[in-house]
Amino acid sequence: MEQLAVMTEERGSAGLVESCQRGDREAFRLLFEGYKDKVYSVALYFFGGDEALASDVTQQVFLKLFTRIGQFRHQSEFSTWLYRLTTNACIDEQRKRKRFEPAGDAESALLPRARGSAEEKVARHEVRDELQSAIAALKPKLRIAILLKYFEELSYAEIADALGCSQGTVASRINRGHKVLARRLGHLRGSMFGGE
Amino acid sequence: MFARHIGKELSAYAHGELPAAESARVARHLASCARCSAEFEEIKLGIRLVESLPPRAAPAALWGEIEAALAALAATNANSPTGFETETFAPVAPRPRDSRPEARARVRELVFGRGGATRLAGWRRAALACSLFILVAGVCGVVWVYRGSTRASWEVASLAGSPQVGSARVGKTGRLGVGEWLVTDADSRAQLSVANIGQVEIDPGTRLRLVSTKLTEHRIELAHGRMHARIWAPPRLFFVETPSAVAADLGCAYTLEVDDKGRSLLHVTSGWVAFETKDRESMVPAGASCVTQPGTGPGTPFFEDAGETFVESLARFDFARGGREALASVLREARARDTLTLWHLLARTSGEDRVSVYERLARLSPPPSTVTREGALALDRRMLDEWKGSLEATWLGGRDNNIKGTWRRLQAWMERNCPIP
Repeated sequence: MEQLAVMTEERGSAGLVESCQRGDREAFRLLFEGYKDKVYSVALYFFGGDEALASDVTQQVFLKLFTRIGQFRHQSEFSTWLYRLTTNACIDEQRKRKRFEPAGDAESALLPRARGSAEEKVARHEVRDELQSAIAALKPKLRIAILLKYFEELSYAEIADALGCSQGTVASRINRGHKVLARRLGHLRGSMFGGE
Repeated sequence: MFARHIGKELSAYAHGELPAAESARVARHLASCARCSAEFEEIKLGIRLVESLPPRAAPAALWGEIEAALAALAATNANSPTGFETETFAPVAPRPRDSRPEARARVRELVFGRGGATRLAGWRRAALACSLFILVAGVCGVVWVYRGSTRASWEVASLAGSPQVGSARVGKTGRLGVGEWLVTDADSRAQLSVANIGQVEIDPGTRLRLVSTKLTEHRIELAHGRMHARIWAPPRLFFVETPSAVAADLGCAYTLEVDDKGRSLLHVTSGWVAFETKDRESMVPAGASCVTQPGTGPGTPFFEDAGETFVESLARFDFARGGREALASVLREARARDTLTLWHLLARTSGEDRVSVYERLARLSPPPSTVTREGALALDRRMLDEWKGSLEATWLGGRDNNIKGTWRRLQAWMERNCPIP
């Protein structure tokens, strides 16, 4: 798989995409294998650990990618284009779901889960669930910036390209995201990081 | 005092996204601004929380589902003039593969090009090969994700001789990965670049391992030998584990040496270092040193220009159960600058001994008006910190002794008098 990642990177934005545009089936597969886990991880944590929804969104992203690859004109990095598709798919899905959710503030609805003594939550998976919920409760703009940073390992400039905003805006959103998470989950410091 | 606070730049700073000059400005501000330092702790917690979430592998069946969805989509759009170029997608659920040969041919033609149609006879074999490929790729993926967590590495440069990483010799430069050992023999020296936050020089006869390197923490283990660290990061980003304590950088330069018994000497040349175990911490400023011993942890820090009797009595108190007699000698020999040692001894003594330490300390440097005798003897954290703050002026400057000579004498003395428990 490491070899596959290297191949994907080497053939990367130019070679692989051109091969896809010529209908090279193996190139499609390589693109998918090279990026699927990153796209899936972003979608998974965007939707608070909902695996079925993350699979659906990942599927949508690659379907859009494969059916529109003929339109790609190499004016931007392929990865930026892919992450823009990922971002749009997540935000669109979130909007669709919001229409059918009962009224109320999603963030405040999650807050009670984020409280309680650390002693009651020593089980690792519970702590992780709480963290996932807190990320899912961030405002979508903060959430997607944080996820692109940590799961796509993008620089601020690349995130700015993918989101269509300035690097300063990206820095501000990531900073706010970190602060909200730290304030909301400060009580987990002990159970997660050994009481530092 | 009137410097602009840097709260909004802290994540960019932690992620290495600021230009060098800006980054240096933020580091300087952090060293002097309690408000921004507290905010930086918050940001670091946020970073560590997100970093604790592992990347997740997409389900293995996803490729098959995408192919099926493409096939279904192609069948739906078979008569559309734009074919696959469909702008709107309903949420896609896994669908059964369309069995109509003409639809499948259309899908293959659209997705894989016209040449694909001629390979239709081999489709089943190809599908089998693909399934096998996905299985192998999945297994490799697990290995890759696992290895990914330990792939980070630092640059290592050879300064003399032939340093080794694992069993491989380092040429002019090489990489030290997480979990790998860097070993220098009697003739070799090396230099490590600590991510983008500092440098460590490794002396001959040293064995050192990279334990972890993350945005919020860089950690090495010094098993034996000597290293010189120069770190320009905010406090508590760089840690060195020794057999008997952990050195936590607080923005500084220092030398750390571990002998073959696991004892270590920390000698700080700039800034501060916290030398700590789970239940004991020594704060060591520039010009001071601290000795550790396995089973005991960090001793009490002392200035290197302290008298020989003072240093030896302190070692007796820390490591050889010297008790009241050794303590009395320490207090008798203490100068104004040795209040560093006495301030630490307040928390390491009890009862009458603590009262003796308090009285000597108060005589050498009276506490601020906000610190009461009762509060200091009760080890009130706020009061002790305030007293430390007022003492720090006397701890700066001074003449550095020959610490190498002091350490050699102390090592020999400890070898005779301080058996390792």
